[in-house]
Amino acid sequence: MGSYLLKRLAASLLTALLASILVFLLVRMVPGDVVAQMMGQAGGENAATALREFFGLDQPIYMQYLTWITSVLQGDLGVSWTRGLPVATMVGQAFLVTLEIALLTLFIATVIGVPLGILAGIYENRPLDTVIQSFNIIGLSAPVFWVGLMLLVGVSAAFSWSPPLRFVTPDRSLADNLAILALPIASLGLLQAAAYSQFVRQNVVSAMSQEYVRTAIAKGVPVRGVFFKHILRNVMIPIITFMGLILIQILGGTVIIESLFALPGLGRLLLAAIETRDYPVLQGALLVVVVAAMVVNLLVDLTYRLIDPRVRVA
Amino acid sequence: MDRLTRLVRREPGLVISLVLVLVLLLVALFPQLFTSISPLDVAIDQAMLPPSADHWFGTDDVGRDVFSRVIHGTRVTLSICAGSLLISALVGGAVGLMSGFFGGWSDQVLGRIVDVLLSFPPIILGMIITGVLGPHVGNLILALSIVYMPVFFRIARAGALGEVGKTYVEAARSVGVRESTILRRHVTRNVMPLLLTQYIILFPMILQIQAALGFLGLGVQPPTPDWGAILEQGKDYILFAPWMSIFPGLAILIAALALMLFGRSVQRRMDQR
Repeated sequence: MGSYLLKRLAASLLTALLASILVFLLVRMVPGDVVAQMMGQAGGENAATALREFFGLDQPIYMQYLTWITSVLQGDLGVSWTRGLPVATMVGQAFLVTLEIALLTLFIATVIGVPLGILAGIYENRPLDTVIQSFNIIGLSAPVFWVGLMLLVGVSAAFSWSPPLRFVTPDRSLADNLAILALPIASLGLLQAAAYSQFVRQNVVSAMSQEYVRTAIAKGVPVRGVFFKHILRNVMIPIITFMGLILIQILGGTVIIESLFALPGLGRLLLAAIETRDYPVLQGALLVVVVAAMVVNLLVDLTYRLIDPRVRVA
Repeated sequence: MDRLTRLVRREPGLVISLVLVLVLLLVALFPQLFTSISPLDVAIDQAMLPPSADHWFGTDDVGRDVFSRVIHGTRVTLSICAGSLLISALVGGAVGLMSGFFGGWSDQVLGRIVDVLLSFPPIILGMIITGVLGPHVGNLILALSIVYMPVFFRIARAGALGEVGKTYVEAARSVGVRESTILRRHVTRNVMPLLLTQYIILFPMILQIQAALGFLGLGVQPPTPDWGAILEQGKDYILFAPWMSIFPGLAILIAALALMLFGRSVQRRMDQR
């Protein structure tokens, strides 16, 4: 296990390094740089050159990368070119918002999705299964921003309520914070619950078709006993590892949800940075997102190896 | 007729999805069969009208007929998705096949690059490419094809590796058949069904990403009708004119649903073999 962990970490670090290079290059793909954007028509050649020197854009590309990556490794993500604030602070605050959204959504998705999936699997091909599967399939097909919009309309029409406009952090007012996040989390959470439920159902169905389960039922063991003793134990492993994949999907989904509900998370920060060509913020935010996704993948991989006893022995 | 009834009863999902997919294809190819109003006709005096006999889905903020925009948007949206995914499959598949077949250090390098690309959540990768290059249809297609190229690469590579170990390849080599001929005539032919199945499975997913990029304003630009873009235009009026958002969103849902059911049926049949 130890040597595997080391090898896996080394591979992840290499991928992280390559990802940082890709992030750096992607951001530089823009036609027309920030200086041209900032200056517009005003200013002459001298001003443009001076600004470029100030931002380090006159250096060769690999120098720019090396400068950036060494500061990143020291915890300095640079300073925003449009706001003048340290990127690390901006990204840190945005990350906390996105993290809160992601974790709450994961909670909703798990609490709704897993039980539904188990029920659907146990009552396979019966009416309950058909109903749950229909919900799953619609949830897997519905675009998250549309669901968010429909919830807005529905809640407004039914309860004459719409979420507060200004975002409030939980430490300032938990009630307001949750009121603002209720609809976004509901939209994303329901759709992810559908995905989770479908996955759990497949696993339960295949677990129930195993020979030993059928033998146990044939021997007369009550279904509930079979369920808790055998099926649940075998299904738990994929359920927990799938949680990681759901989290990655949620991470992508929050970008859209933040845009729709105007929440100050990483997604909105990325979009704003793209619009204003703010390289440092764009690089910093993108790097954080990619590293977060990689950490989740790594954790899923390690958790799977840890809890599956068959893998541990090998 | 008898075989048809048996098929409907045995696999309702396949039949329903096939019918829906054919309807979508029909709408995409012949929008004029479904509406005579132009999706671009502006009429400010008729802005934000609710659904009626004249305008089945109502009108938008500049008076355009929403039904017409959804109908005409079908071709725009689906062709962008189909085209991007095809590029993805062709490029990713070809590179993956060669990488798996020939191996070597280039295979290792490509494997690393693919790992890195796959570490980006798809929507974010698409967002960065379109956002940075500019919201132009060409960039959208480029971004979408890059997003799923690694998946086709991996499938083709795995398929090629699987074939390389088989006896017929060894036999062909021992007889003196050229490598490129083995690759072209045998390995590719056996890997094609895998790529085709993957194409069908990924279609609803690329549709969702394309729609999301349109919603973020990074996709097709107005006034061209595109389901995601129509939703982007409608979101500011959601409480006054919800019909601007309800119907295009439903279109996305139904299309994704049909394609997903179709993909699942295809995959089930492939697994049965």
